[in-house]
Amino acid sequence: MDAFTGLMHGFSVALQPHNLMWAFVGTFLGTAIGVLPGIGPALTIALLLPVTVYIEPTAAFIMFAGIFYGAMYGGSTTSILLNTPGESGSMMTALEGNKMARQGRGAAALCTAAIGSFVAGTIGTLGITFLAPPIAELAFIFKPQDYFALMLLAFLSVSVVMGTSKVRGFISLLIGLSFGVVGIDKQTGLQRLTFGVPDLMDGVEMTVVLVSLFAVGETLYVASRFGLQKPNLNPLAGGIWMTREDWKRSWKPWLRGTLFGFPIGALPAGGSEIPTFLSYTVERKLTKHPEEFGHGAIEGVAGPEAANNASAAGVLVPLLTLGLPTSATAAILLAAFQNYGLQPGPLLFINSADLVWGLIASLYVGNLMLLILNLPLAGLWVRLLFIPRPYLYAGILIFSLVGIWGVSTSWVDLAMMFGVGLLGYVMRVYDFPIAPVLIGLILGPMAEVQMRRALAVGQGDPMVFVSTPLSAVLIAMAALILVVPALMQWHRSRKIDMPDETAGV
Amino acid sequence: MTERPYWIAAGTVGWGAIVVWKAAELPQFDQYAHVGPGFLPSAVGFALILLGLILALQIYQGVPFEEQGAEDVSEDHKVNYMALALATAACALPMLTMKPLGFVVTCTGCFVLVAAAFKSRRWLLDLVIGFAFSLLCWWLFRKLGVQLGGLLPMMGV
Repeated sequence: MDAFTGLMHGFSVALQPHNLMWAFVGTFLGTAIGVLPGIGPALTIALLLPVTVYIEPTAAFIMFAGIFYGAMYGGSTTSILLNTPGESGSMMTALEGNKMARQGRGAAALCTAAIGSFVAGTIGTLGITFLAPPIAELAFIFKPQDYFALMLLAFLSVSVVMGTSKVRGFISLLIGLSFGVVGIDKQTGLQRLTFGVPDLMDGVEMTVVLVSLFAVGETLYVASRFGLQKPNLNPLAGGIWMTREDWKRSWKPWLRGTLFGFPIGALPAGGSEIPTFLSYTVERKLTKHPEEFGHGAIEGVAGPEAANNASAAGVLVPLLTLGLPTSATAAILLAAFQNYGLQPGPLLFINSADLVWGLIASLYVGNLMLLILNLPLAGLWVRLLFIPRPYLYAGILIFSLVGIWGVSTSWVDLAMMFGVGLLGYVMRVYDFPIAPVLIGLILGPMAEVQMRRALAVGQGDPMVFVSTPLSAVLIAMAALILVVPALMQWHRSRKIDMPDETAGV
Repeated sequence: MTERPYWIAAGTVGWGAIVVWKAAELPQFDQYAHVGPGFLPSAVGFALILLGLILALQIYQGVPFEEQGAEDVSEDHKVNYMALALATAACALPMLTMKPLGFVVTCTGCFVLVAAAFKSRRWLLDLVIGFAFSLLCWWLFRKLGVQLGGLLPMMGV
């Protein structure tokens, strides 16, 4: 099926009333959690996993896509009006957006953020529509060693890019990998690291780890350092919507932001931090009003916000075509696919065309819904922030218990919730990145399967891992990711050392 | 003053050692795939030990540990150990009470403890809201088909 007929078919699925309803539920929930602190898209989808066993997969993924996109919109609303970026991708938006709001231009900032998100989301979805099928075709000729090299690259780049320290990033990844090997080895039937506990034979449940790390760890962390800054709402009243001038200054940053966001989001470990930051820097360089930057420049909202949403769309490309998650949210989406017995990858486009194209079409629909939900209702969403914190966090813990206890009503899961929750707390205090744990947990077993397959084909010769051009290039890139930053650091530290010596400090 | 949390490095090495120890019981290589079930766990375990040692070295050199930012966190990151203890108790409670007392009672307890950790002083109100919310969750998710156990397993309900 070529992209166009696929998409048309997708719309016929996505526009069915009950699927529209799920898209609405998803975008609604997504916006809400984007606004609320302490709860993000990955966590929400994880908590909904036990529920969705009873919903058909197409509807579930349409809802998840709504949550995924919606969280981005909600995050921008709070960062503009309250200077509280709900997630890392909105940090740059908060920088200029909040300044604009303080000058009484909050409405214009919200407007450019929402329309920019819509433009970027739509272009990004177009990108998925036309890029995903050819990449999926390409993936058919991937050999096990290619997959293995790709996953290795994802491991390395996730650990190096996320967080401040490479050592801590790798420790996070390896903790995830060590959780990933728990359970019965599928090839030999032997138990690995189960410590004789029958509940661990099926492996460590992704949902349990994710909910514990995010919700429980966050609750412990915030409780211990709780200090509520009273949300002071910047008045929306009197704000002028976007003027002609604003439109003129916004449309180019929207497009440039999309251009940064989508490809970087599609790369392993691209994430949303780098493109939003890049977009902000570029807009700052290109603007005709450099004096406004730092005091509420509309370009500084339009660009990063577009980049943020485009990167979210980009993340879906490797996930759908190769089954390769590159963010925490993508990892939990992959887990959701596996719950349904589906394996994202080239075959998904053939075996589950309804689902894939329905999902892609619902991204267009969801984007439009979000624009409608967010533009006029921004003031209402912000009211969510007035939920008393004791009840908000207590409620989050109860939802976590639903998610964890609901998986298999196993005591071992509750013990893991406690242990991994404490781990999540420690990781926050000592600045270990959290996403690599999840990537290691879900991608580790997949990488191992590919590694064994490749070795079986290559009859045990380790050279098999660089035997195809693609695998050789990917392995070389992985090696560069490891070596180059180390070299640069070495170089830099030498440079800094030398003046120190001459100065005789 | 630089904090020197050597215990994290020790914990990393310790977990790595446990993984290596358990992996050593498994065949490292096999005939067909050449890499046995023990190979990856061993590699992961050894890597963890190595990284734990590097982390110890970094800590010795005085590498800074900056706490991650989050919403609702006070500016100075001052730790309230009482609140931490209460929240930790809330997370530990399900291990003790979930099996005998069931979901609703457990969640009510967790709710009150977390609310207390967040400096709520209206215990009775917290208890009522917690109970109502837990009961609603239990009923709603059961309707949706999530298995959450009985209302009061001890009494066989």
